[in-house]
Amino acid sequence: MRKKIEELEKRWYRYKLKMIMVPLGSSVVTAFVGSGGYYLYDKYYIHNKPKTVVLSATKEVNLPKVEAVKLVKTEPLKDTKKDDNSMLLEPIIPVIDLQKEEAVQYVKKSLPKRHEPHKRLVRAKANDYLTAKELASMSRVESVSSSKPHVMKRIKLQSTSVNYIETMKEKYAHSHSSRDALLLAKAYYKKGAYSEAEGWALRANEINSKLDESWLLFAKSKAKMGKKQEAINILAKYYIKSKSANAKALIEQIKTGRI
Amino acid sequence: MKSKFEELKTIFIDSVDKNNYVELESATYNYNILETSLLKPLKMILLYGKPGTGKSMLLNKLYHNLKEHREIHYFDAPILSEKAFLKEIYEAMSGQSIPDNMRVNFDGLLKYCQSLRDKREVVFLLDECQLYSEALMEKIRLLSDTRVVKFVITLHKTEDEDIIAKEHFKTRIWEVIVMKNVTEEDLQLYLQKKLIKKGFIEVSNMISKKDIKYIHYMTNGNFRETNKYLYTVFDIYEYYEKNNPKKISTKKLSKKILEMAAIRLGYIDA
Repeated sequence: MRKKIEELEKRWYRYKLKMIMVPLGSSVVTAFVGSGGYYLYDKYYIHNKPKTVVLSATKEVNLPKVEAVKLVKTEPLKDTKKDDNSMLLEPIIPVIDLQKEEAVQYVKKSLPKRHEPHKRLVRAKANDYLTAKELASMSRVESVSSSKPHVMKRIKLQSTSVNYIETMKEKYAHSHSSRDALLLAKAYYKKGAYSEAEGWALRANEINSKLDESWLLFAKSKAKMGKKQEAINILAKYYIKSKSANAKALIEQIKTGRI
Repeated sequence: MKSKFEELKTIFIDSVDKNNYVELESATYNYNILETSLLKPLKMILLYGKPGTGKSMLLNKLYHNLKEHREIHYFDAPILSEKAFLKEIYEAMSGQSIPDNMRVNFDGLLKYCQSLRDKREVVFLLDECQLYSEALMEKIRLLSDTRVVKFVITLHKTEDEDIIAKEHFKTRIWEVIVMKNVTEEDLQLYLQKKLIKKGFIEVSNMISKKDIKYIHYMTNGNFRETNKYLYTVFDIYEYYEKNNPKKISTKKLSKKILEMAAIRLGYIDA
């Protein structure tokens, strides 16, 4: 007992230490990250101030003095020569010679406008249309074929629900698959035998509880048998678990009396 | 002679004993529903909840309160063999013992029950019914259909339960009583009443609201977990009482010991 308690005390001390150290450690890390971030911000962002350089350059350029522009241009270039690493980190300073720009603009305006092609026009494709001869021969073939009336072939499918249910039951007896159980549930539901439909839906669900349709059929059968509240409860629980849109829609249908 | 804490910890040993039953508002409410349900012509009553919410305790109290007034039988442990189960039912109803080499035929038992209709009403309390097979549960249902036998059954609620199956089962049951974990207030009452009942008034005063909050946080208000937790707490107290009494106070519950007990039970990862 003594050893057990001593061991427990050690574990408790470790726990208390953890309880103190974890928040302390996290606050230290936060402070370190915060101060580091501020340092980097201070060093690389505020001191270099790329935006202010641009502003000052543009301000200077507005004046007719060209020397001022030159001065701003050369300053960052001198710095980059000193240290190759810092050059990579520095942002590119977009300095625009406004006088030159104005001159270019003036030349552009004075030149007569070239006739621009219509934007809506599409480049012509290679001609792959049929010739008049080919067209005539095609229309002849078409007229021959169109003279025959088109007969729709209909395949008659006949099966009685009783046979189907019996067959499916036999199949289920061999397979014990959730799909077969579900098909049986559907068949019974269509037939209006809701109690049987409920039972088969339950069986399908027992085999595979993730089968969306089994839940829906189970609830629908219940609703058809007049147990609407019970059906809604089941669907609500299933909806919480699965977020099935079908379940939600079915709840609405039952609530509004469409089922 | 037993030390104070040695004696104290024993009251938290988990057992289904009517003397350990503590009257709580929620438990009394459920008990009243249960007792009223038995008076109605219901066939099956379900007590449903997570382990440790007091289902067995409630069943046990019901049995001891009613055994003098009506025909009631309590199966505290599940009888998993169908043969043994039917034999127990028949023996309880008929008062005759069946030799080991003979078995009770279910159809015969059903007819026997039907012959007693409007003459007798026998109540069976079945605990831990989640362990019974589906086939046996179906037979229990058929027996209850005779209206001669009433069953009160308890089921564990598991996290990964099949909702449809439960709902389907519910339709055959007439009354469902859901048992839940208790609130902080009820937990405080539970501990106070339990301690005062056994004469530990000063220990009851040691437990503050803050302690109750901590205990509730650790045990989620589950009776079984609370008993286990407080047993461990007072087990550690007992050690200090014998070996280092200076380390413990008799005025308030030690947070350190509460945390140590939580570590020992794995509630806290340390």
